[in-house]
Amino acid sequence: MSKIEVKICMGTTCFVMGASHLQELVEILPAKYPDTVDVMGVPCLDLCSNESKYTNAPYVKINDEIISDATTEKVLKHIERLLEDGQE
Amino acid sequence: MFIDIDCAQEKKYGQNTYGDKFLSKRYPEKGELIAVLSDGLGSGIKANILASMTATMLLKFVEAGRSIKRTCEVVMNALPVCEVRKISYSTFSVAVCTEEGDVKIVEEGNPQFVYISDGKVIEPEFTVIDSETFKNRHMHVYKLKLKLGDRLVFCSDGVTQAGLGNPELKLGLRRSGLIKCLLERLQEKPDISSSELSKYIVRIACNTEVDRHAKDDISCCVIHYREPRKALIFTGPPYHMEKDRQYALEFKNAEGKKAICGGTTANLISRELNIPVKCDITGSVGKLPAVSKMEGVDLVTEGILTLTRTVEYLENGFKDKEKNAAYELMEFLLNSDCIEFMVGAKLNQAHYDPNLPIEIEIRKNIIKKMAKILEDKYIKKVIVRYI
Repeated sequence: MSKIEVKICMGTTCFVMGASHLQELVEILPAKYPDTVDVMGVPCLDLCSNESKYTNAPYVKINDEIISDATTEKVLKHIERLLEDGQE
Repeated sequence: MFIDIDCAQEKKYGQNTYGDKFLSKRYPEKGELIAVLSDGLGSGIKANILASMTATMLLKFVEAGRSIKRTCEVVMNALPVCEVRKISYSTFSVAVCTEEGDVKIVEEGNPQFVYISDGKVIEPEFTVIDSETFKNRHMHVYKLKLKLGDRLVFCSDGVTQAGLGNPELKLGLRRSGLIKCLLERLQEKPDISSSELSKYIVRIACNTEVDRHAKDDISCCVIHYREPRKALIFTGPPYHMEKDRQYALEFKNAEGKKAICGGTTANLISRELNIPVKCDITGSVGKLPAVSKMEGVDLVTEGILTLTRTVEYLENGFKDKEKNAAYELMEFLLNSDCIEFMVGAKLNQAHYDPNLPIEIEIRKNIIKKMAKILEDKYIKKVIVRYI
């Protein structure tokens, strides 16, 4: 199974809406899932400028799925679910 | 040519203010720069007043194109007379420099300046003008033609007399000692900035003193003719999306150092030029977004928040404990002479969402403010283009 890719948006909107706190994932994820999860920041996921669709910053992208109103807990839960699905 | 100028100073030990005064002003439309260094009689407040008056008056008179002889008479007559010594006195050096390299220098009382070209000291010819009303006051007038890489070093006698009384340096550092230090330092670091070289000389002078206590006010001013350091900052996506590629290519092909401020902008350039951008998020929680890396670009930061913080730093100085992206952007700007901003005019609606917890300014306004500070306070050449 390929690694789960977690991308945290570091754009202005996401950052002020909470992505600054999501930065803790950079420490949490590699410690918890050293072999299964890759985490990185991206300058911007270019989602917030699409006003009709995305108004719930901050955003995190996990593989191809977009998590809106992202929190550390929400991201961790999503990863756990993906890992469980992968094992089945 | 660009004229890089800076002055470093140290107060006489135990005094609470400087007895030397340095002033300089650039006239971008004329491509000219005037610099004045004055050393007031004595030290402390009295010397500071004498030196400040001398420097300010000289700058104003020279700026107005008055004859230097007449100017000096006026200045000497205007200075208050010292109660102890019954004389009014302050020494000075004035330099009028053009970007083409024509330099006119008038010295009175200060140690002779050092002219360094191609790693060697040149002793230029001068004419002497005597003061009509004040005996023993002679002005030395120099006319020079400087070329790229040349330097002029001015100092107060606090530098040349540093170490006086030191058993090894009975007459102090002297001009010869200063020249030796300058040439050694320039050999080590030929492209040293005026700011760094002037600080270095002041440090050497202080360290030469007995107990490292400055016995007089110490000042060193360096003028360096060099190629302007160009910088280009791309911030914000262009208004017309179809022009993205054109602007990205222009950014890529520009000379000098480059920075991108903005996540969307970084993505745009990454996409158009096919260069990956890597974001480093090891920065601590709650601070500014950290810088990213992109090949061929010297600095990549987030946009509005970083720019706003950089303006704050440029205005009030850097006081935070940790160096962040805004600090790096400030350094990037201050280490450049000619700065061009390419400001994308497209708005991001999300920034105007009332739910956003902090005030986010309009990009154009921040850049306007930043350009003004860079021009007025830091004497940079700034160009702003809206795209």
